Amino acid sequence: MTKFLKRVYIFLIVFFMYAPIAVMVVQSFNRSKSRGHWGGFTTQWYLSMFGDRSIMAALRNTLSIAFLSSLIATVISVLACLAIVQMKRRTRRAVMGVTNIPMLNADIVTGISMMLLFLSFGLKFGYGSILIAHITFNIPYVILSIMPRLTALDKSYFEAALDLGASPVRAFFRVVLPELMPGVISGMLMAFTMSIDDFIITHFTKGAGVDTLSTKIYTEVRKGIKPEMYALSTLIFVVILILLLLLNGSRSKAGRKKAPGGRSILEIAPAAFLVAGLAVSACSLTACGSAGEEAGAEASESNVVYVYNWGEYIDPDVIELFEEETGIRVVYDEFETNEIMYPRVAAGASRYDLVCPSDYMIQKMIQNQLLQPLDWMLLPNASGYIGEKYMAQARSFDPGNRYSVPYCWGTVGILYNKTLVDPEDDMESWDILWNPRYKDDILMQDSVRDAFMVALIRNGADSNTTDPAELEAALSSLMEEKPLVQAYVIDEVRDKMIAGEAAIGVIYSGEALYTQEENPDLEYVIPREGTNLWIDGWVIPAGAEHVENAHRFLDFLCRPEIALMNFDYIYYSTPNEGAHALIEDEEVRNSPVLFPELSQYDNLQTFTYLGEAMDRYYNDLWIRLKSY
Amino acid sequence: MERKELIRLEHVSKAFDGQTVLDDLNLVIHENEFVTLLGPSGCGKTTTLRIIGGFEKPDSGRVILDGRDITSLAPNKRPLNTVFQKYALFTHMDVAENIAFGLKIAGRDKAFIEDKIHYALKLVNLEGLEHRSVSSLSGGQQQRVAIARAIVNEPRILLLDEPLGALDLKLRQDMQYELIRLKNELGITFIYVTHDQEEALTMSDAIVVMNQGYIQQIGSPEDIYNEPENAFVADFIGDSNIIDGTMIRDRLVRILGQEFPCVDTGFGTEQPVDIVIRPEDVELTAAGEADGGLTGEVTDVIFKGVHYEMCVMAGGFEWLVHSTRMFGEGTRVRIGVDPFNIQIMNKPASEDEEAVSENDQIR
Repeated sequence: MTKFLKRVYIFLIVFFMYAPIAVMVVQSFNRSKSRGHWGGFTTQWYLSMFGDRSIMAALRNTLSIAFLSSLIATVISVLACLAIVQMKRRTRRAVMGVTNIPMLNADIVTGISMMLLFLSFGLKFGYGSILIAHITFNIPYVILSIMPRLTALDKSYFEAALDLGASPVRAFFRVVLPELMPGVISGMLMAFTMSIDDFIITHFTKGAGVDTLSTKIYTEVRKGIKPEMYALSTLIFVVILILLLLLNGSRSKAGRKKAPGGRSILEIAPAAFLVAGLAVSACSLTACGSAGEEAGAEASESNVVYVYNWGEYIDPDVIELFEEETGIRVVYDEFETNEIMYPRVAAGASRYDLVCPSDYMIQKMIQNQLLQPLDWMLLPNASGYIGEKYMAQARSFDPGNRYSVPYCWGTVGILYNKTLVDPEDDMESWDILWNPRYKDDILMQDSVRDAFMVALIRNGADSNTTDPAELEAALSSLMEEKPLVQAYVIDEVRDKMIAGEAAIGVIYSGEALYTQEENPDLEYVIPREGTNLWIDGWVIPAGAEHVENAHRFLDFLCRPEIALMNFDYIYYSTPNEGAHALIEDEEVRNSPVLFPELSQYDNLQTFTYLGEAMDRYYNDLWIRLKSY
Repeated sequence: MERKELIRLEHVSKAFDGQTVLDDLNLVIHENEFVTLLGPSGCGKTTTLRIIGGFEKPDSGRVILDGRDITSLAPNKRPLNTVFQKYALFTHMDVAENIAFGLKIAGRDKAFIEDKIHYALKLVNLEGLEHRSVSSLSGGQQQRVAIARAIVNEPRILLLDEPLGALDLKLRQDMQYELIRLKNELGITFIYVTHDQEEALTMSDAIVVMNQGYIQQIGSPEDIYNEPENAFVADFIGDSNIIDGTMIRDRLVRILGQEFPCVDTGFGTEQPVDIVIRPEDVELTAAGEADGGLTGEVTDVIFKGVHYEMCVMAGGFEWLVHSTRMFGEGTRVRIGVDPFNIQIMNKPASEDEEAVSENDQIR
């Protein structure tokens, strides 16, 4: 009986440890992009992964940074250890204490302080800054792994080699280093994995156009993580698994008896690691070229444009077309939320020339004088093709359209599953979210402004209100609704609705069309009381250095055929009427989801920036709701 | 046989962190000798060895090998090899690779190295273990590999730093004989460091007794044991009864109020001296209550196998006595000593003089 329980226990442990990985592996073969729905077996994600330039570049960067940083950190650490071990006990303890502190330090602190340091030294953010940061945070780990072996090593070990006629250098490489090797290798491997693992420090020290896998994956959260990433993660898992098995196998063999003349995998592994690493590094430094070019790019520095955009928010071919046509190199970088973008632009960590924030954030940046006015003379396509109704809507956050050109827009509405709701119920009103019949079948957006917008507009108030009475009223409405809500989520609205796990959800129009393709039972409506109309627009930061190039790129994006390419890629509503007219598929062109007749709604509100005090107030209300 | 000088230390001094370890040390070692540096820990014996090996540089003084000053020569350039206390075998190499290390560095050809490995392993009785990993060997075997690794390089001098310290008693005794045999077969000079006086007495041609950075006495094991030149040597080498005495005149000494004939002369008259009497040289006879001479009472008896070890309280001094005859606890005994077995030494005027007394003497 106890034996049985033991087995169950072990099984549970293994299950909980590996279930997430198993799910990921399964998803990597799922034809459907939705996570909640099995669309059949496919290997297409593996194929498209290898064809995706940005994923491959991120992979190369990740591996080469991991390799170079672990190698350099190891060399530095070995030297450091040799010095530390010579110190007197007191000094040695003090030095070890100092080197250990960074390991206990929170990554975020390390990341921010590195960023500040690089800023104050005027170091260019990019491949080099990430590499330096990784070397730095890797060193303590390698030292920690080498030090015990070195202190355990008898001093006479080195002397014995000298005694037998070896020069000090030879004695070190022939005798001391081999003895430290297990510590050196495990330290280096640890550094390697730490480097691959790292997100936070990389995030703070990376520059425009350079991504590692972790930052790349993170920029994709807004549009949903691409299935190619599941495929890549699966491959990485399998490769590591095979390596581990080989390593363990060879180790147990080596323990028994060393075959004379034959070399164990354990001995070859470091060499193989070195060769492979050098190959990847060389390839990432030459083929992808971003780092190398940037280093020597000072001469052609005038011929670039630094673009900072949401993840998955442009067709990569558009960038290539622009570069071919104009000879201007686009250094492209991605962010995941307005709040992450803002401090980077404000701090000037990278001198972006063109950024794509959302409505309220544009207003905040205007107020804080972070933007420069656009020169509309240089934007004939923008003036010619961006619809006046969108320009008018944009004036709510950018009076006079001085600073921004709308890029994408959308609405927030109700997505419902026809088979799960009563046809008698009125789905075109926010009231449906308060209908007790749908208890535990409702999905709300997990974002403070969106959630309050729903309640405020239902109560007949303005979604940009700063009136505490109206906000308190909205809060009590949301509290009243909360028992009916299955979950407050973001991406999962899409997946859960496709999978039929909920009847009604609040969703962005851009996501709605895609969910309908996956599950025809879904229907999207804009409630008649009105809703939020959001706009992301291009702006030029005050500190931009390539203002003319920024205008050229922006106007290029406004060409109808280019805007159409982006529409096909992003699948969010475009404000470009020229592009709209070019959409071939009539169903899409006239889609009430993507291109609703705006004039039939008299209460479409766009978020404005309410000021810091109000932001805090909203957040307090949000916490009260969440903890209610 | 004419003894040829091999290595000479001249006025060597060394201090660590202001603490003097060696003070103006002078020493000559001849070819084909087995010399032991003997002394308690901290006496400077290991430092002396390390200076010879080149691992420490003396603060002052010179090291002369074959008439050549090698004071500043790096250890890897010296024609010496060392067997380290903890063997310092290279654990990532097998036995043969360890032994071949020095020869490979010296650029010897493969066949020569093979021959040498074979020869050395045979010499230390480890044939057939060429490809064993060193960590799989016993302590004694590791010790032999360390010795083999050193001697294949045909050093002028083999330095051994307490090489038997980590072995158990039986193995240690076996290895002592092995080392003597090796030294005779190889015909090279051994400089051996130990704090074990028994080891030193067993193996050495000459013993250098050291204390507090000074050489106390240099001599053959017999000299050192039988004629200790001062109380420290006497105390350190074997057990001794060291007693305050007075030299009455030549060949007569007063010990604890009793006069004893002895064989020493030249100490003057009525001079305070130190008397050394080995425990096995004390002769006990049964004595009655009223007997004269130096009498006392047995206070403790321990059976030691070869002999009994007894403590005798006599004349206010606790005598240590080794004898094959047993006297029970409480027995009254008379103490007698053969004149040849009374060793008389001048009293040192001070601690310092005690240490320096024999330092200038170069054999």
